[in-house]
Amino acid sequence: MSNNKEFAFFPGCVLSQAAKESKMSLEAIAPILGITLHEIPGWSCCGASQAQCVDPIASLVANARNIALGEKMGMPILTTCSTCMLTLTKAKNTLDKGAKDRINTFLAEGNMKYEGNTEITSLLWVLYQNLDTLKAKVVNPLSNLKVALFYGCHSLRPERELTKESSTNPKSFEAVVEALGATIVPFEKRLDCCGFHASYPAGKSVRKMSSQIVGNADSNGADVVVTPCPLCQMQLDIYQERYQDENNSNIRKPIIHLSQLVGLALGLSNKELGLDLNIQDATRLVG
Amino acid sequence: MKIIIERFDGKKKYESTYELRIDEVKGQTLLSLLQYIKRTQDITLNFTAACRMAICGACAVRVNGHSYLACDTKMEELLEEYENPESMRISPLNNFRVITDLVVDWEPSIENLRKVKPTITPKSEFSEKTGCVQTQADVDAIKKQWDCILCGCCASECNKLEADASDYMQPFVFTHAYRAADDSRSKDPMIHLKPAIANGLWNCVHCQECVDRCPKGISSFGDIESLRVMAMKKGLNEGMGPAHAEAFLLDMVEGDGRLNEIKLALRSEGVLANTTKLDIAYNLMKAGKMNPLHIFGGEKIEGHAELVKMVEAARKAEKEGTIK
Ligand code: SF4
Ligand code: SF4
Ligand code: FES
Repeated sequence: MSNNKEFAFFPGCVLSQAAKESKMSLEAIAPILGITLHEIPGWSCCGASQAQCVDPIASLVANARNIALGEKMGMPILTTCSTCMLTLTKAKNTLDKGAKDRINTFLAEGNMKYEGNTEITSLLWVLYQNLDTLKAKVVNPLSNLKVALFYGCHSLRPERELTKESSTNPKSFEAVVEALGATIVPFEKRLDCCGFHASYPAGKSVRKMSSQIVGNADSNGADVVVTPCPLCQMQLDIYQERYQDENNSNIRKPIIHLSQLVGLALGLSNKELGLDLNIQDATRLVG
Repeated sequence: MKIIIERFDGKKKYESTYELRIDEVKGQTLLSLLQYIKRTQDITLNFTAACRMAICGACAVRVNGHSYLACDTKMEELLEEYENPESMRISPLNNFRVITDLVVDWEPSIENLRKVKPTITPKSEFSEKTGCVQTQADVDAIKKQWDCILCGCCASECNKLEADASDYMQPFVFTHAYRAADDSRSKDPMIHLKPAIANGLWNCVHCQECVDRCPKGISSFGDIESLRVMAMKKGLNEGMGPAHAEAFLLDMVEGDGRLNEIKLALRSEGVLANTTKLDIAYNLMKAGKMNPLHIFGGEKIEGHAELVKMVEAARKAEKEGTIK
């Protein structure tokens, strides 16, 4: 990140609406860290591991197109949404393992071609690969802030698709947050699932899962839960009142995006980071 | 180092701690370490194992909260994974009833397997004379699923089972249902598909723990996805799960190319149920995180017409059988 790092940016549907503060904070921290984001023109929904259960071939074609659009820009593709990252990566793996030629016959209908020469990465991963630069930019070490780190399933699993680090004993998130100077609390639920993807069909289970995560962060003394995944953030934040009531818990906790935590350490304001847009009050994390 | 083992004597839970020198630990498998502890330190320790070669599925336990097949896991690898810890905690599989120490009850899981009828009812055209043949490609389609040894590692870490097992079966049960349903010799996939749907097919939370824990490299999540695709193709699309999944596809292809959050909520659970969430929707709109005008649709993405053409071509090829 010392030299300007340019990325083809895949925001994913969630960043334009329900998690727009994730996009705001990402765009606020990027220039400070020497990251330039070029949004991929014409990107489509990745299917979010849902469309795949209805029409896998349509989903594969749409994602081959998404990756091909990024490839045309000649830069690695970056996304902050873990589900987008996993879905795009899975599509890339399928294409690279033999589906490429067949799928290219369909992409040809729109004069496009998948080459297979672009990397797909996430904000967490880019920060982890550039810890020294990140450390050098910290102006407000967050040592007074006790944070619980919630990875979110698709930041890590399946390990054999993502191939970035061990999903049993991962380290990237801890290393990044240590670089920001924040105090990391023990957190037994850090590798669990928030349940987002089944929040409609298995609502009751999902609300229990989310409630246990927030409760566990609280009992370990966390001031805030941080996650690199905007869908986890949304699940744990937006519906918190609802599931905590349902599970007879009066614990309320701010849930923030990784990009917001980075922004706080870089000295950016609540407004610049969209912290006033989080549903559970996240505006008083640093005084 | 310390090996802490969670114990259960049929009435109460307790822990036993065994001090071992590192040279007693290194070079062992997790199973041989358990046997060593039983032989040299504590004859009362109970666990199950039979084949010692990763085929019977009896020896799975948890280490530090993650499931492993004991006979197929080297202690050196565990020490590396957990960075040479001073202690390790061994416990019985999660999401199973514990009988004693590391021994768990498989009977309810076998009952679930019975529900999906994991044997094959052959097509009527087969006879004693002609046999029950399949092509290599047909075998390959379900070869991986045949590798399941019923060890329970996937079920142990399943986040949905942990939250509520009353409307959900173990991940491996879906793997066995899919193996039978996709078998070219099988008379009717519905025999296996219908009970899978009735027992939680759409309740999986996509945590992917089953994929990462399986010692045989099987993806029960992938099998759940395949069963869902099969269900949708056969018109079994009742309920919130199918409606929710379909909403993404509709927005991607028939819609504007991107997800429409307002339509998603309405399509997934219907207008009536959705009125109970109006407070949440109001909060989101107030924060500018949901655009009420999107109910009329949004702006089409650049190149959407081409995207549709590509998808249509793929669907056509699939229908004509040029691709599977
Ligand atoms: S992906 Fe589904 S089946 Fe697999 S462990 Fe998670 S909830 Fe269970
Ligand atoms: S699917 Fe894998 S982890 Fe699950 S029971 Fe079968 S072999 Fe074990
Ligand atoms: S003892 Fe048979 S699988 Fe381990």
